[in-house]
Amino acid sequence: MASSSSMVKQEESTFETRLFAFQRKFAPYLFIAPFFILFFIFGFFPLLFSMYLSFQSWNPIQGLGAMEFVGFENYLWVFTDPDFYKSLYNTLWIGVVSSTAQHIVAIPLAFILVLRLKQLRHLFTAAYFVPFITSTVAIAIVFNTFFGTQYGVLNQGILAFSNSAPIEFLRASSWGSWLVAWVPEEPIRWLGRAKNIKPALAILVFWKYFGWNTVLYSAGLATIPKEYYDAAEIDGANALQRFRHISLPLLRPVIFFAISLSIIGSMQLFDEPFILAGSNPMGGINNAGMTVAMYLYREGFNYNQMGSAAATSWILFFVIGIMTAIQFAINGREGLDSRG
Amino acid sequence: MKRLIAVLAIGFLSITLSSAWAQTLTVSTFCSLCNSTRPLAEAYMEANPGVEIIVNELEYGDHHNNLVTALATGEGAPDVAAVEIGFISKFVADGGFEDLSQAPYNAGQYEELFADYAWAQGSTPDGRIITLPVDIAPGAMFYRHDRFEEVGVSVDDAIGSWDDLIAFGKEVTRDLDGDGNNDVFLIADAADVFEGMIRMGLEEGQGKYFDNEGNVLVNTERFHEAFRVAKEIRDAGLDAQIGAWSNEWYQAFKDGAVAVQFSGAWLEGSLRDWMAPDTAGLWGASNLPGGAYASWGGSFFGIPVAADDANKELAWDFIKFMVLNEESQLSAFDTIEAFPSLKSLKTDARMEEPSAFLNGQQARLLYADIIDNIAGTTTHPGDVIAAEIVGGALSQVLNEDRNIADALIDAERQITRQARRLR
Amino acid sequence: MQNLSVSKFFLYIGLVILAILTLFPFYLMYVLMTHSATDIFSAPPPLWFGNSLRENYEALLSAIPMWRNLLNSVGLGMVSTFTALVFCSLGGYALAMYDFRYKNVLFGFILSTFLIPPILSLIPFALLVHFFKWFNHPLYLALWVPGMASAFGIFLMRQFFASSMSKELMDAARVDGATEFRTFWSIALPLVRPGLGTLGLLTFIGSWNNFLFPLVAINKRELFTIPLALRSIQGTADTIDWGAVIFGTAFAVTPLLIVFFLASRQIISGLAQGAVKG
Repeated sequence: MASSSSMVKQEESTFETRLFAFQRKFAPYLFIAPFFILFFIFGFFPLLFSMYLSFQSWNPIQGLGAMEFVGFENYLWVFTDPDFYKSLYNTLWIGVVSSTAQHIVAIPLAFILVLRLKQLRHLFTAAYFVPFITSTVAIAIVFNTFFGTQYGVLNQGILAFSNSAPIEFLRASSWGSWLVAWVPEEPIRWLGRAKNIKPALAILVFWKYFGWNTVLYSAGLATIPKEYYDAAEIDGANALQRFRHISLPLLRPVIFFAISLSIIGSMQLFDEPFILAGSNPMGGINNAGMTVAMYLYREGFNYNQMGSAAATSWILFFVIGIMTAIQFAINGREGLDSRG
Repeated sequence: MKRLIAVLAIGFLSITLSSAWAQTLTVSTFCSLCNSTRPLAEAYMEANPGVEIIVNELEYGDHHNNLVTALATGEGAPDVAAVEIGFISKFVADGGFEDLSQAPYNAGQYEELFADYAWAQGSTPDGRIITLPVDIAPGAMFYRHDRFEEVGVSVDDAIGSWDDLIAFGKEVTRDLDGDGNNDVFLIADAADVFEGMIRMGLEEGQGKYFDNEGNVLVNTERFHEAFRVAKEIRDAGLDAQIGAWSNEWYQAFKDGAVAVQFSGAWLEGSLRDWMAPDTAGLWGASNLPGGAYASWGGSFFGIPVAADDANKELAWDFIKFMVLNEESQLSAFDTIEAFPSLKSLKTDARMEEPSAFLNGQQARLLYADIIDNIAGTTTHPGDVIAAEIVGGALSQVLNEDRNIADALIDAERQITRQARRLR
Repeated sequence: MQNLSVSKFFLYIGLVILAILTLFPFYLMYVLMTHSATDIFSAPPPLWFGNSLRENYEALLSAIPMWRNLLNSVGLGMVSTFTALVFCSLGGYALAMYDFRYKNVLFGFILSTFLIPPILSLIPFALLVHFFKWFNHPLYLALWVPGMASAFGIFLMRQFFASSMSKELMDAARVDGATEFRTFWSIALPLVRPGLGTLGLLTFIGSWNNFLFPLVAINKRELFTIPLALRSIQGTADTIDWGAVIFGTAFAVTPLLIVFFLASRQIISGLAQGAVKG
């Protein structure tokens, strides 16, 4: 950059050429400045503020003047609070269950969509993707009805299945009863029982995000040259073998990327449980659906402890960072290598 | 062009003029209190032509959390804010509201007009007056006449003690259509019984969870007994296991699927207006079982410190209009059955009006009698937290068969821990 | 050959069943919006259309100014989309095509904000809203000005510029005497049209669905966006029938479904490209 401006100086230095050189030198800064000014106000200031806040005791009701420096007390509080660990457990439970299901469904699904379908591929992908773009508030209202105990469609479906002739037959026979022991005979209290809240939320999260992962994997598969598959087919490999030996290994960077996004997303889970499981008590009965983000919200807004709320967010930040790093260590190196 | 300018100028002028004449007051309220706030604001505007009142209504939880944000940032606070009993302790103890005992409000002179315990809930022990009570909620048992008649039990027999209630429950809970599932239950949720029982027999200086000195009262006979009865009801299958404020709860009232429900007097208004209007005449109200008198709800109005100073006088006038004016209180009583906080109204002729929804019963006299017998309901800033922790403990006992003593010891420990950081 | 088509048939059956399961809640929503609350809460619940559509619509309109809320959301969505596109593409272009001091530090910094839970910034956001006097602002400044600096947006645009534009093209434009801005505007931008489309649609969708932040910035009914209006009737079931609440839900979701089905190819392929491209 410096050499180019000195070159301009050697030429006859008219106003126009100087202007041209000037705009060339400063263009990148001018282009990015508006973004960064806004980013520093709305992205960076909240970070700084919450960092500062995490070392203060602050009851928000008393206004900004009521802050008081307390050192690491907030962090100590969170680390010794059984409810924090409970929320961490809830978050991991929902995250692991729903993410595992999402990726197990999405990878083969993407393989089928990309390699076996031609005309209708887009239509199916779009159908699976719709939940991803739908507002959580709206989804929660529909699922509230869907998960209803007495009148909910889900329970009605389960009961219809449970009362169907084959199941009844198996249940009545001595040899078949253990086969159908898992089929519920009574309506399930999805949101009214502590032990069912997490599964209900996991179902919702799976439903909302598996289409997103399918799209990611489809894009990854589309970049694999068709010749690889053709060559394998000539060698007599069937679809399963092609999936196993070509798609999966070459998809590794995408898997790495998609799992990272799943980790980050599920650790920050807030909207869905907040609106579906409710905030009074936070996360439904016995706080069974309280995620870390909801714990943070409860500390700040229900318990008026903004300091420990801020500390929680920083702890969460580090937890996410560590988990991403672990995932990087397991999958990342090879994943990045094969990306070439 | 000239005409355009003229039109614009007139428009502009009228906007500035009207804003100079009219004073605008913002009132934030939650629903269902909003159903009485709205008409009162309209009545006030009619009586005071220069005033415009904007009523902002939000969902119960959203309203209170928004209020926290407004007080935290010191701006965007409404001129008048409603606070429900569940949140009052948090705002009373922690500030953020004008002290109404000071000039220009001088609210201390009105203390005698209100039920003692309601006044105490809105004030601090050291005499600051944070909010004025607009309605109070005598706790009563609402029941379906038909369900009692079907099994031939009289209401008085069923409410002699909590064990009598269980005995009635065992008869009334049954399968009507023979499909193997019960269609009628004693009560929607065993937790409601617990809620009723922990409000019983409080002494002066005691609240539900804390006493005046801030001691945690959770590991006491009152809680053990409440847990025991709730557990017995759950184990006997007498409750429908339907949580309050869910669609299935409303539906259970419509279907007559529950025989009794404990609540504040306001439940009559909610049942009548929207929860189960078609069941009019089928309901009755009585005292709580076991001779208990309890307060169950209540709403308050206060002025946030962060509100616009220029509006505070008007805000106070509007609060006085809603709270001190007998007509206003009676209109709220009629619209949402929010029991008036003014003592003077207890002798008003309208107290004797029979309720059509409750089959002609003079329920308001019952409510007034309950109010007279309520003792001690100190609030504590830890009430919100304690309620959540005890609720969790109860759920462990009811749903996961946890030992009651262990659950309560654990809850006490957690509440003590949380209370330590409230200052 | 026979074999292949049989297996394909079962493949299609499986895909169709999965699609039906995925779309079922939407179907349920459209069915329930035509029923009264009494019908909705009956066993078995209705699975086919009823005839309370009109009543639900009228009940909804008596509770909230739904058309006004819809207009609010449309207007806010368009402004958010346009401004986010301008700023994120400018910034993304600079990050992708130029070398300048601290570029990698800045980029890493932007990326690291992905790891931060959004609700953490709720209180600071509220402070900023009041600092700038944006509370209940009729132009919703609080809701689209911060969105202009979306970390996701600048990341996505950087990816698109890096893969579509080349330094050779920039040099060629310079030789022709084009200013840097002109190069950006006339050469680079048209090349990333798919990226712009994707980011635009996603911004619109995000703005349409945003709930928690508008809740802090607005409390006037007339200014409510669609999710706030929906939530306000959900909590105040006392004035409104559940059938009308479902009607409102469908009212909120349908415009977005239409936009999505018109542009789904664009959104999906653009998202995938942005994400998978190194």
